[in-house]
Amino acid sequence: MKKVLIGGIGNVLLGDDGVGPYVARLLAAHYEFEDGVEVADLGTPALDLIDQLTANDAVILIDSVNVHDGVADQGAILLYRKKDIMRLRPAVRMDPHSPALVDALLSAELFGVAPTDLLLVGINSDSYEPTCSLSQPVRESLEEAIAEVLNELDRLGVSYWHRAHPVESGIWWAETAMEPALIK
Amino acid sequence: MAKRITIDPITRIEGHLRIDVDVDNNAVSNAWASCTMWRGIENILRGRDPRDAWLFTQRFCGVCTTVHAMASVRAVEDALQLEVPLNAQYIRNLILIAHALHDHIVHFYQLSALDWVDILQIPKADLNATTKLAESISPWTRNSREEFKAAQDRVNAVAASGQLGIFMNGYWGHPAMRLSPEVNLLAFTHYVQALEYQRKALQVVGILGSKTPHIQNLTVGGVANAINLDNASALNMDRLEMIRGLLEEVVQFVNQVYFVDVCALAAMYPDWFKIGKGVNNYMAVPDLPLDCAGSSYDLPGGTIMNGNIGGVHAFKTASDKDFRAAVSEDVAHAYYQGDKPLHPWKGVTDPDFTGWTAEQKYSWVKAPRYNGAPMQVGPLAQVLVGFAQGHPLTVKHASRAIETIGAVGHFQVTPGMLESTLGRHGARAIRASMLAELAQKHLQLLTDNIAKGDTAVFNQPVFPSHEIEGVGTHEAPRGTLSHWVVVKDAKIKNYQAVVPSTWNASPRDASGAQGPYEASLMHTPLARPEEPLEVLRTIHSFDPCMACACHTFDPTGQEIAKVKVL
Repeated sequence: MKKVLIGGIGNVLLGDDGVGPYVARLLAAHYEFEDGVEVADLGTPALDLIDQLTANDAVILIDSVNVHDGVADQGAILLYRKKDIMRLRPAVRMDPHSPALVDALLSAELFGVAPTDLLLVGINSDSYEPTCSLSQPVRESLEEAIAEVLNELDRLGVSYWHRAHPVESGIWWAETAMEPALIK
Repeated sequence: MAKRITIDPITRIEGHLRIDVDVDNNAVSNAWASCTMWRGIENILRGRDPRDAWLFTQRFCGVCTTVHAMASVRAVEDALQLEVPLNAQYIRNLILIAHALHDHIVHFYQLSALDWVDILQIPKADLNATTKLAESISPWTRNSREEFKAAQDRVNAVAASGQLGIFMNGYWGHPAMRLSPEVNLLAFTHYVQALEYQRKALQVVGILGSKTPHIQNLTVGGVANAINLDNASALNMDRLEMIRGLLEEVVQFVNQVYFVDVCALAAMYPDWFKIGKGVNNYMAVPDLPLDCAGSSYDLPGGTIMNGNIGGVHAFKTASDKDFRAAVSEDVAHAYYQGDKPLHPWKGVTDPDFTGWTAEQKYSWVKAPRYNGAPMQVGPLAQVLVGFAQGHPLTVKHASRAIETIGAVGHFQVTPGMLESTLGRHGARAIRASMLAELAQKHLQLLTDNIAKGDTAVFNQPVFPSHEIEGVGTHEAPRGTLSHWVVVKDAKIKNYQAVVPSTWNASPRDASGAQGPYEASLMHTPLARPEEPLEVLRTIHSFDPCMACACHTFDPTGQEIAKVKVL
């Protein structure tokens, strides 16, 4: 049995930063997965992410990314693999609890507990004001983000099933229901 | 002529601690601490159901989830004068203790140890000498030659690969690094082992809170855990035994490894007992209530002003009347509108961003004050406030630390030396070993109470239509946390969180008095100003958490601090 973590990262109180938890909860509401797959809203775990990465064969993370200057549109889906992230420099930390995907992955690798496969499904965004709503471009990209997660499960040979009757998504923070017309 | 050094994490999304210091003759002559992101998260809570507030506050910070959830339900219960069943108090206490043990272990090993431990020295360590040294200071059974060799091999492999990975940014070989190769290897080995034990502490939170990182079992009036010793899905004897087993391992790690490592490190950097003192007003609130009303506690609180230990003032309860009356927030140097300090119940959070100017406004953190004075909070305050009151558990573990440091370092240690950068690490280890002892006590209290047949976990809250105010506190790993709520017609009218890092990272107030980070950096000697390791040591000793950062991933790899020398 393959151990797979699908984890949404981000702060649900800060606008588009909440897209990771949003996607994770939509996935759990609309799909069932084979044994060994865990879908989790990880919030903003900083270095505690090491604990989450540990003891998994594969990890799929969903997070907002921030690419400016005409490189990618708002709402564009950008994919990063383990080797892309491992190439980046970790932070010199003033505040030890700042975002820490790079640090967590490099530490997990040092400790010998990092997953073999890691994919980050990034949703490009730059609206991080205190609000519980997603911006329009990010809302429109939810389905594509979900499709990328499912593609990765296909690639890993992990089974999943679309629920005929979705369960409650548990997106308690949203002002209004914003679920896209899910899903093939 | 002083030169100014700015340490500012560069990320495209801001929300971090920035430190500016003036350096004159290789010592800090002035300092400013600032946070670079607006926190207006509390405004989201206005108009919502107070029973839901904890779900939102749990998201203030992804590392301090549990503490904000707990302070929130306590604030609403305080407003309602609502008591909490005994089982609920014990379950909450156990969650808070397990969270704090996890947090302290992570802080020392993952976030601070490498300020003192030089990775470059590890390949030179002699394995037999390391084993002999380890056996002389601790009975820890995993202090074996095999474990040390495995850790050393790991570092050698990283060095050979040329891919420094997580070690890419360390100040290796810095003249302020002074441990022997063997102590470096010992500490690094425990840095690797710590990962297992921090996870066990988190598992305890998960069993009781039904999930981590966001617990699900809280409710205003108690907890949502079903207690039934004969039901497989409820909190039953099996789960209590599982918690007991996990705690035993964590407690052993704290006592035999973390506590000893901090003492050994302190013994080898004695000059750091003279650096980093700063603001010597200290505050802690009582915590771990032992009855339904919250009138007696396992951990004491109070204030000490101007380092006058003998003049300690005790808080009787976790929402003591003195505390309720004395807290205000000043925005003279913070990017908010307002011309006088405001009590949190009257607090407003309207931004007024002007850019960084040393003389005027320079931080998004407000300046909390206690009767107008800046206060240092955190484990050092917790230990000093307890020690000053002769609290037996504090005295017991503080004495053990003082003896251990003195024995390893062959010098006399006094309680006053704790007022320093190294003292903050020492105090955190003292607090952790106190909490380790209390973990087992509170598990026993819960087990005994359930065995008596008490399964109550919840008292129903009833909201009046008139306006009510409450404060909920928690003496969190980083210090005094308080949530302040005003409720009218069962809706939140105002909500303010005064978090530990706000007390410690506070900017100057209208009178010009520096906050604790700023004051602690004054006169710190810097061996190489362009590599300000000494500044990081002191700031990290507070365990800062700016409690709000976005988590957006920056794929350009610029998630790195900029050290700028002007």
